[in-house]
Amino acid sequence: MSLIECRQLTRTYRRGDQEITPLRDLDLDIEAGTFLALMGPSGSGKTTLLNLLAGIDRPTSGSLVVDGREIHHLSRGALAAWRASAVGYIFQLYNLVPVLTAYENVELPLLLHRISRKERHRRVAAALDLVGIADRSDHLPRQLSGGQEQRVAIARAIVTDPTLILADEPTGDLDRESAVSIMDLMARLNRDLGRTIVMVTHDPKTTEWCDSVLHLEKGRLAEAEGEATTPMASESNLESEDVR
Amino acid sequence: MPGLPLDYAIRNLGRSPSRLLLTATGSGLVVALVIGAGGFINGMQQALRTSGSERNVILIGIGSEESIERSEIPMSTPTIAAASIPDVVSHAGTSAVSPEIHTALEIETETGGKTNAMIRGVRPSAFLVHENANFIAGRPPRRGMNEVAAGQLAIRTLGYVGPSEAVGGEISVDDTTFVISGVIAADGGVIEGEIWMPLSDLLVVSQRDTLSCVVARLESTDVSGTEAFTSSRLDLELLATRESDYYASLAAFFRPIRIMVIATAIMVALGGVVGGLNTTYAAFASRVREIGTLQTLGYSRGAIVRSLIVESVLAAAIGGLVAAGLCIWLLNGVAIDFSMGVFGLNIDSGVLAIGLASGLGLGVVGAMMPAVRCLRLAVPEALKAN
Ligand SMILES: Nc1ncnc2c1ncn2[C@@H]1O[C@H](COP(=O)(O)OP(=O)(O)OP(=O)(O)O)[C@@H](O)[C@H]1O
Ligand SMILES: [Mg+2]
Repeated sequence: MSLIECRQLTRTYRRGDQEITPLRDLDLDIEAGTFLALMGPSGSGKTTLLNLLAGIDRPTSGSLVVDGREIHHLSRGALAAWRASAVGYIFQLYNLVPVLTAYENVELPLLLHRISRKERHRRVAAALDLVGIADRSDHLPRQLSGGQEQRVAIARAIVTDPTLILADEPTGDLDRESAVSIMDLMARLNRDLGRTIVMVTHDPKTTEWCDSVLHLEKGRLAEAEGEATTPMASESNLESEDVR
Repeated sequence: MPGLPLDYAIRNLGRSPSRLLLTATGSGLVVALVIGAGGFINGMQQALRTSGSERNVILIGIGSEESIERSEIPMSTPTIAAASIPDVVSHAGTSAVSPEIHTALEIETETGGKTNAMIRGVRPSAFLVHENANFIAGRPPRRGMNEVAAGQLAIRTLGYVGPSEAVGGEISVDDTTFVISGVIAADGGVIEGEIWMPLSDLLVVSQRDTLSCVVARLESTDVSGTEAFTSSRLDLELLATRESDYYASLAAFFRPIRIMVIATAIMVALGGVVGGLNTTYAAFASRVREIGTLQTLGYSRGAIVRSLIVESVLAAAIGGLVAAGLCIWLLNGVAIDFSMGVFGLNIDSGVLAIGLASGLGLGVVGAMMPAVRCLRLAVPEALKAN
């Protein structure tokens, strides 16, 4: 059984009498331990898919099973609790809380867990250490560079030891050099720590760190590359229109 | 119930200073208003409640519409009353029967200021009847010597800081100067706001030859003996009222004013909430992406709303505590000149608690709606906000 199983996954938005379906009948399996890149033109539904995987959005139809749990059946509250333990999300614009220090930002997800203060401190320190930013733990986000902010955000995403790490263009706002070191870090999380990562990216260069690449086009899988995963290419979804 | 750290709410206060200022000021004003109104009502109620004794009975003229000030009764009334009312208290052969004139006159203070004062013309027997009236400074006024006694609240409206400063001070009534010979306390009752003048002097000053009322002290709270007297002597046209009932009916008369004060306080508080809603919403709305991020991390909407409310309550508490402090310092005990006489604003712990609670309530209500509105946005959309 795969870590993530999407079946006929569909997300439709309604605006008045207009319907937009950024994701249509998607069938996709992602194995544990994969570092998957998700590519595709703007508006192809990448973020929509990532948000469904993260449990911050819910499918209109179809099923989504992560680690044996039927995410599409969870209530809003249960989804929040599930996110707290199973998902680490990395944003393009870092989204650190500006009034909290690097340390406190990383600590934030742990406050939702019943662990001792000592254990919490140990985990935050370890996460900050892993991303190489331990010496900046007392700094506020505005006192950090973009690359450093993203490192703190990565520490925040891994500190709860989640099943799944999701990243939406994590290097989209960084210069080349910072992007490379962030990709190195993510690859290390995948290779050395065995984390499953799904990363949306526009930059083909960043896919060098990944072990497979999926292309979305108008809400459907276009083609697949790589060996580590075998995304189930949807059979009969060749003609597509996402607005009707 | 896991929640956001208190530190987060505290530090958020500094993020929108205009909102902090507005919430704190709004809450401060409401707290000050509620405490002021509460102190006013409290002071008035206390003055009226402690004013009447159940064992005193007031005799006034039947045509006076139950108002002592409007009543006029003949000078002979006290003698007849002392002889006819069966159970009047007697001290060493002197009946506790007090002939009195109650009148409001314009007086001039030492500094030349003019003010309206409640003046009561009395004989020494007044102190046998009004047992709670005691001198806290000086001595009783002597008749014919241009002397008066003043209540401890009255001296404040005359501009004196305390009783010892007031003794020896002067007031003028109709170009006649009187020296304050002593200061009276009376358990916070209306007497404390009055000026007491020897009856014979007031008859001259006010150019009248009638009394306002006669107050008699009885052995018990039973006024049936007095009522029997007034109904057997219909020719005297007297009405007997228990003193405590008289002030209770005064309190009832002023109830609409109390309701008005409370209603005004509530309306200003509501105005504060409505006025602050937009600023609060703007402050929260500028953090929509952060709120979406917190939800992505697994924080529930309830936890986030709670933190926003805590933040708002903290801001309200800052303003409210400052206002409460200023109220105690500046308002407590301030003498209020009112048509019934003078009474002091009475800010006690109950009034303070109600005042602070309304300030904090304002913080809760003012944050609730904007917070809920901000959290209605779906997480993916919140994450896209600027
Ligand atoms: N809340 C929404 N309401 C209506 N339409 C939406 C909403 N969110 C997304 N869409 C539409 O869904 C489609 C896919 O959006 P999505 O954000 O998934 O694209 P994307 O592949 O991430 O694009 P980009 O590379 O530009 O980030 C777009 O056409 C978008 O307009
Ligand atoms: Mg996107």
